[in-house]
Amino acid sequence: MLPTRSRLSVLVFLLPPLLLYGAAVLFPILQSLFLSFFSWNGISDMEFIGLANYLRMFTGDDVFWRSFFNALGYLAICLILQLGGALFVASLLTSLRRGAELIKTLYLLPAVISTVAIAFLFVRIYSIDPVGLLNQLLHWIGLGDLERAWLSDVNTVLAAVSAPEGWRFTGLYMLIIYAALLAVPKELEEAAILDGASRWQLFTKIRFPFIRPVWITTVIMATTYGLRGFDIPYLMTNGGPGQSSELLTTYMYKTAFTSTDFGYASTISVFIVIECLVAVGLILVMLKRKADA
Amino acid sequence: MKKLFRTAALAAAAALALSACGGGAASSPTNVSPTGEIKPREISWLLSRPADGAVINIMKKLAADYAKDHPGFSLNLITTPDRPSYIQKLETLAAANKLPELFDTDATPFARQLAQQGKMVDAEKLLKSLNVYDSYRPGALDYQRFDDGSLYMIPFQFELEFIWYNKALLQKAGVAVPKSLDDIPAMCTALRQAGITPIAIDGQDQWPLERYVAYQPFRAQGPDFIQKLKKGDAKFADAAGQKTVQWLSSLGKAKCFQDGFSAQGYSDAQNQFTSGQAAMYNIGTWELPSLATDKLNPAVRNDVDFFTLPTTAGSATAANEYVSPSGIGMAVNAKTYDPLVADFLKFALNKYPTEYAATGALSPTTNVQTTVPANATPLYKKALDKANDLGTKQAMPWDTQLDPTTNTRLQQELVLLVQGNTTPEQFTSTMDSTIAQNAPKFFK
Repeated sequence: MLPTRSRLSVLVFLLPPLLLYGAAVLFPILQSLFLSFFSWNGISDMEFIGLANYLRMFTGDDVFWRSFFNALGYLAICLILQLGGALFVASLLTSLRRGAELIKTLYLLPAVISTVAIAFLFVRIYSIDPVGLLNQLLHWIGLGDLERAWLSDVNTVLAAVSAPEGWRFTGLYMLIIYAALLAVPKELEEAAILDGASRWQLFTKIRFPFIRPVWITTVIMATTYGLRGFDIPYLMTNGGPGQSSELLTTYMYKTAFTSTDFGYASTISVFIVIECLVAVGLILVMLKRKADA
Repeated sequence: MKKLFRTAALAAAAALALSACGGGAASSPTNVSPTGEIKPREISWLLSRPADGAVINIMKKLAADYAKDHPGFSLNLITTPDRPSYIQKLETLAAANKLPELFDTDATPFARQLAQQGKMVDAEKLLKSLNVYDSYRPGALDYQRFDDGSLYMIPFQFELEFIWYNKALLQKAGVAVPKSLDDIPAMCTALRQAGITPIAIDGQDQWPLERYVAYQPFRAQGPDFIQKLKKGDAKFADAAGQKTVQWLSSLGKAKCFQDGFSAQGYSDAQNQFTSGQAAMYNIGTWELPSLATDKLNPAVRNDVDFFTLPTTAGSATAANEYVSPSGIGMAVNAKTYDPLVADFLKFALNKYPTEYAATGALSPTTNVQTTVPANATPLYKKALDKANDLGTKQAMPWDTQLDPTTNTRLQQELVLLVQGNTTPEQFTSTMDSTIAQNAPKFFK
């Protein structure tokens, strides 16, 4: 327990960042909330329309719902690649004696490449004419029937734009989880092995419960990043073909800056904020219940 | 809670008051000859043109010349060649009431609102006061006009859009240059059977495909159809609308465009044509330096030719009427218009055409002769000569006509229609309801 005077000084030092946070994060959110009750195209007079934007969003806008479900699909693919991949690779790394550093670095590389470069790289990889890497590989291993224009096919485009985002951050989450796994006490694991625990039991009963706090943080990070995903789909397909890879974020951006419907775009952004908060709440509840069980 | 509400209300009132202040400062957009002393300063032009293109290079030179007699003057050119990014920048600046002295815009519904709010100088009056109005090609000015005929943008280019084709590839597939738009689907089928990509298109930028939706209605009803359609007075469900929807669907079924076109960009499409893989390529005279000079791949150089937009049976418009845009126009900000801006424009607009024509491009005016470059193929002059033989009507690109939301949706739905992911019926109902929902906001 700090003495009163120093507690006060801590508060004083915490105040500036809090004010900055308020100005940079909370104020824009409140402003969006405010704007969402108006019809405004930037140069027209602002017209108060009550809940009309919300009504339109929930009942009269097929693109909104399409984008919402696309965003969930995008999130699912990103999470599987990022968290599943990261956990898998990190577990393998712990049993490696040599070369772990090299593999870690290689996996982390995509996270430091610029998004634009990644987007262009993958546009080339998915290309059919001229033949890109993916189609060429499929051809070589005798799966020529699967060759297609991945980014033009409405059935594959969502997965195709999600994969680069997933691939990109797998290394980062792998690093976090690997560090957590290294901290699992060796004597606990050895004791379990002596008691005859299988590798799977070792993982589920010893290692995973031990890294749970880190896991929760990683899941929250990956989920909120996934829900806010924007740049790679926007750069690769701009939401197309049609609305097949349109996410809530790209749709919001277009509504604001192409359609100049700032009021409605604010409504969508309010929805995204609430959606992120709900997602984080759900994760905490689910993981807490599991921990209690 | 009550307090929070009061704060919000106060913020709203402040915001409204601020925007009102900004709006009220505009000077009269009709007074094109402001009196007073010319005080040199830096003026800015927010534009969307190639950074090293002829327009920017010439205007830089003219500004430097002007600055010799007017020390302290400079022209700050801020270019964003990527059009969607540019439009976002323009709209954001307009919303903040921070537009510079000069800015580029097409005759879009958004620009029309700016004009109606008195934020742009009347370009017709301006050009007349500078005694240059009559030297402009009527078509170049018409392209910049709003529906009511008013003119608020000044053109700096004049282009003609052709369908370029490879004679050898057409011959190989045993097909001739199409006489009617309706011949194209069958032509594509024959080309595909001969293993040739019929049309190379830049699907990523979306406007190239949007050109195709404009062709049939322009032939059937002239420029009127899009004018009515954008306001909801005509529908895709009408005869002319259905004609274009069915035609586009048949282009898709005949696999007219290269595989995976929606993810391919401008240079991808051009490479396909200039490398001899694709038989046709729809592009304007701004590409003459790469299609009609010795820069063109020697393997296809002697095979390349062009035809203008084919007509249809009972066409309302003539063969010499097609897409002939004068590019994005330059608007003059009414709020910052003063003797200096007026004097500089007088200087620049008088000297610009000669300089521009010397680069081998078509000037928006008729008082100068375009210089054919030394390395040009005979096709270059043939293309330029078409400018002397134009009809009075022109096909407007739809992306400059529709309200932005409808335009975005149309671009998306066109890809789906051509790829066969939606039926013509679905396309029709989606687009008609989109227009009904969004047009009233812009065309009240």
